[in-house]
Amino acid sequence: MSETTKTTKTETATPTKARVLSPAVDIYESRDEYLLVADLPGVQQSELSVNLHQGELSFEGVRKPGEAGQASQGGEIKYRRTFTLPGGIDADKIEAKLSSGVLQLRVPKAAALKPRQISVTVG
Amino acid sequence: MLVRWSDHDSSHPAFDTLRRQMDRLFDEFERPDIFRAAPAGSLPVTFFDSGSALVFSADVPGLTDKDFTLSLAQNVLTVQGERRVRAPEGFVAQRQERAGVRFSRSFALPVRVDAERTTATLKDGVLTITLPKAAEAQPRQIAVNAG
Repeated sequence: MSETTKTTKTETATPTKARVLSPAVDIYESRDEYLLVADLPGVQQSELSVNLHQGELSFEGVRKPGEAGQASQGGEIKYRRTFTLPGGIDADKIEAKLSSGVLQLRVPKAAALKPRQISVTVG
Repeated sequence: MLVRWSDHDSSHPAFDTLRRQMDRLFDEFERPDIFRAAPAGSLPVTFFDSGSALVFSADVPGLTDKDFTLSLAQNVLTVQGERRVRAPEGFVAQRQERAGVRFSRSFALPVRVDAERTTATLKDGVLTITLPKAAEAQPRQIAVNAG
């Protein structure tokens, strides 16, 4: 966990053989949750890790060489990104799903943040 | 309720912009050729010769088999497709870096291929097309006769 949270710093301090790329990310917000979508082509579920540490949500997906797309390039690619979460989220209920090279992270808002309808009673 | 999502290490908006520009600079510098900017509306691809086949591959995260049209005619491979990116129902976009793209690319193949045995697979967001070479284009071992 500690390795993935300090992204930029470890990169410069100890360069690894893997190429580290920062994948494109979309962030959407609804009434109840945030949805983070990231492109991680060639990454299998077993090679993906998602971490939450001190309010920072990070993910890292490793793309193994041997994938056809990299056969001529060699070396593995690490897709890595870290975000600071806004306040008022329900950290226990974060869900991650990886399908066809796209990661979806659902980050539910805490009940207190959701807009609430307040009924007006005629006095 | 507007909440700002910030990248790691970006407490100041001005630095954020600067950092992003620097990131882009380094990304461009470090990325392998396959990721180098393709023309707008295009799709970066990799082609290589495995000996018995030509292998094509492209990163197409989020696309399904229905999003493509592949054709092979007169030894020209054409790949067409479209990726749409939009906020899901009930969601508002806060940040959109993933690009929607419509592409159509054609490749004149350098050797004759066997269209019948050509296969295309889509796995983990990577499209791979394997085009076996026609019999006459296969590499052949030539025996040396000692005189």
